Amino acid sequence: MDSMANEELTAPAAAGRSLELSWLPPIGMIGLSFANFVYRLMTLGIYDFWARTEVRKRLWSAIRLNGEPLAYTGTGKELFLGFIIVFGVILLPMLLFMVAVAIAFAPGSQIVELVSLAFYVAIFLLIGVGIYRAQRYRLLRTNWRGIRGSLAGNSWNYGWTYFWTILLIPITLGWIIPWRTTKLQSMITNHAMFGDRTFSFKGDSGPLYVPFAIMWCGVCAILIAGILAIGAVMASLHSSFGPDGLTPDGQLKPEVAQMITLGVLPVIAVAYLLYLLISAWYRARTINYFAGCTHFEGAQFKGTATGAGLLWIDMTNILILMAGVLILMIFVILLISLIATAAVSLVGQPLASILGPDFRTQIAAISVPILIFILALSFTLFLPVTQARSMGYLISHLSINGPVPLDQIAQSEAAQVSTGEGLAQAFDVDAF
Amino acid sequence: MSMPSDFAHQRFEARFSDGRTASSTDVFVELTERGIAIVRKASEAPQIWPYGALTTSEPLTRHAIDALVTSSHQPGATLFVPGPKFARSLAQCAPHLTASAERWRSARPWLWATVALIAVAIGIWMVEFSPARTMAMMLPDEARKTMGRQVVNAMGQGHATCNEAEGRAVLDTLTAKLSKAANITNGFNVVVIDRDLINAFATPGENIVLTRGLIESAKGPDEIAGVLAHEMGHGIERHPETGLIRAIGLTAAAELLTGGGGTLSSVGVTLLQFSYSRDAEGQADDHALRILRESKISAQGLAGFFARMSKIEGLKESDLGNLLSTHPITKERLAKALQQKAYESEPALNDADWRALKAICGTN
Repeated sequence: MDSMANEELTAPAAAGRSLELSWLPPIGMIGLSFANFVYRLMTLGIYDFWARTEVRKRLWSAIRLNGEPLAYTGTGKELFLGFIIVFGVILLPMLLFMVAVAIAFAPGSQIVELVSLAFYVAIFLLIGVGIYRAQRYRLLRTNWRGIRGSLAGNSWNYGWTYFWTILLIPITLGWIIPWRTTKLQSMITNHAMFGDRTFSFKGDSGPLYVPFAIMWCGVCAILIAGILAIGAVMASLHSSFGPDGLTPDGQLKPEVAQMITLGVLPVIAVAYLLYLLISAWYRARTINYFAGCTHFEGAQFKGTATGAGLLWIDMTNILILMAGVLILMIFVILLISLIATAAVSLVGQPLASILGPDFRTQIAAISVPILIFILALSFTLFLPVTQARSMGYLISHLSINGPVPLDQIAQSEAAQVSTGEGLAQAFDVDAF
Repeated sequence: MSMPSDFAHQRFEARFSDGRTASSTDVFVELTERGIAIVRKASEAPQIWPYGALTTSEPLTRHAIDALVTSSHQPGATLFVPGPKFARSLAQCAPHLTASAERWRSARPWLWATVALIAVAIGIWMVEFSPARTMAMMLPDEARKTMGRQVVNAMGQGHATCNEAEGRAVLDTLTAKLSKAANITNGFNVVVIDRDLINAFATPGENIVLTRGLIESAKGPDEIAGVLAHEMGHGIERHPETGLIRAIGLTAAAELLTGGGGTLSSVGVTLLQFSYSRDAEGQADDHALRILRESKISAQGLAGFFARMSKIEGLKESDLGNLLSTHPITKERLAKALQQKAYESEPALNDADWRALKAICGTN
């Protein structure tokens, strides 16, 4: 023990030392955003798997335990293969089967409906499985000081719980949500490992029900107040215009319709803002509660996220993503006008002789899909920036209290996987 | 020994973990010609990690403030060196660890694949190879018949089919005669639906749909024979099958991309909307002219009908489902039909039969 204590210079004793969790904001994420965008564009989107991987490497690196970074060791190739396997083995056969059924039986027949229903059930079952497997892949590919994380347990159990509890959300008017999220979170936490040691989730959904009830009542109040306010707007308009507000054939006059829009829109905007605020507050309470339930060895996590903080991050992230769309749109418009001018003024005649008289249609047929592709990608331009901000907020509001015997934690024995998270990616449910 | 002078013998403080436990020790590292030298104790010989075997936890950029290094020579062990100076020097010694090098390395095969794909696409376009048409040609007859039944049902939905016995018999005789001339062993099957719009469709599996509107608007039996022969031409070339497969393929691709579902079941109706290319119309015309000549029916009927249609329907092009929108008519096509060398021909039907056919829906 002596030599160990000697090596761990600042360690107090064998009981371990506490870990300091911190976030070192990654620099150069905007440059990375543009580089990834260009490569994705040039490879018809395939580079996305490698782009994600580089973003993760940067994000993981920004998370520091006692000043030393976490390392993400996954590769783009693994994500790519995972996606190809899920696509080829599950999604494509399912879709081909659907097509075959649609051709073989009359449209709208019961068999077609039944197969469609089975398709959706299967998809919903697979979403939960995908989330769990993605989590497993990410933990297996995360290490600190060379010690890997892992996730034991059965992904199908998780997928099944995810599936049947989601069906109960409308039936219970949402009241199953705190129980559901706690159950799902504990299923992951209790099976998560760092090296040969397991995390544990201590707590039940009870304490979440008070904030949930407040949010639930708040949402109801917002709905009722919103409807009353809209009603008041309509009533005041009706009393001031009366039957004069209608055209002879019973339609609203344009100026009255405009007044209604002007009166109703602010009500909806305020109601939506209040909803965002209260749901962010509940989300922060959930994050902090789950953090407090999470234990590792002698240490307990502590969350200090706030609703206002989460809401600020989300809203500014949306603005950042929109700025990305705007930048690319301006760029594309400039590019199009340049190409169009060049094509028509310089090579209009030669083009017509090569492609035939309807060459303009042909050029449009080629360029429109490309432009749509660019615009579809444009929403993800600054995703690395926004992801770094979201993760940074969470990590900065998370701390670990209590001793962890680092020198006793040995390497994980968990079996490695060779492909990553295809399911979750196919359904686009992963956050980072 | 030549060594880049700016980092020669420079020592960096670092933390080393052997990967067996989560503890770490203080070490010194040096960048040498052979690799990173790790010095644990001054008395021990340094451990060398060659540059070629190194990986960093994140690709090195000029913004790097530290580096977390691993080596395939010592799996599990990690070396963490704080400070931007080491990271920058390492990027010089091991340029394959920089972000731009790693990006290029992983993107390069896909960039080539993209170039190849574009080249193949251009090639396919140049030789006019159509995957949908190839698949249509390989479809078993059973599948084509099934598709055809579905499409005919979809088109006739909400409308009666016309089957007055006398007219039916006349139509069957005419169809059999044309089918024989077309060398189709099992013959075409023609369905007449009770709709006002003027149109004719070839549907998969040697099926043809005519509308009452078309039969009523015809000026004589030769016109009906011409239209039938033209639709048979589409059928022989498997145009309806090709169009459907293309539509299904596009819908399926769209559903795969958007994750949506449910639109596939309405695929039969798409045949109502798609139009054939000029080339496809030309092919159908060639077949039609051949079939008419074999059957000793004048091609003037076909030409006359299309000429009249292009005048009438030119006025209301927006009318969805009209003949013109599904069979674009061009001057070249009309000229081809009109310039047919005269051959010995007789009317497609006698007057009594023609009246019977016109009354197939029982309206007259």
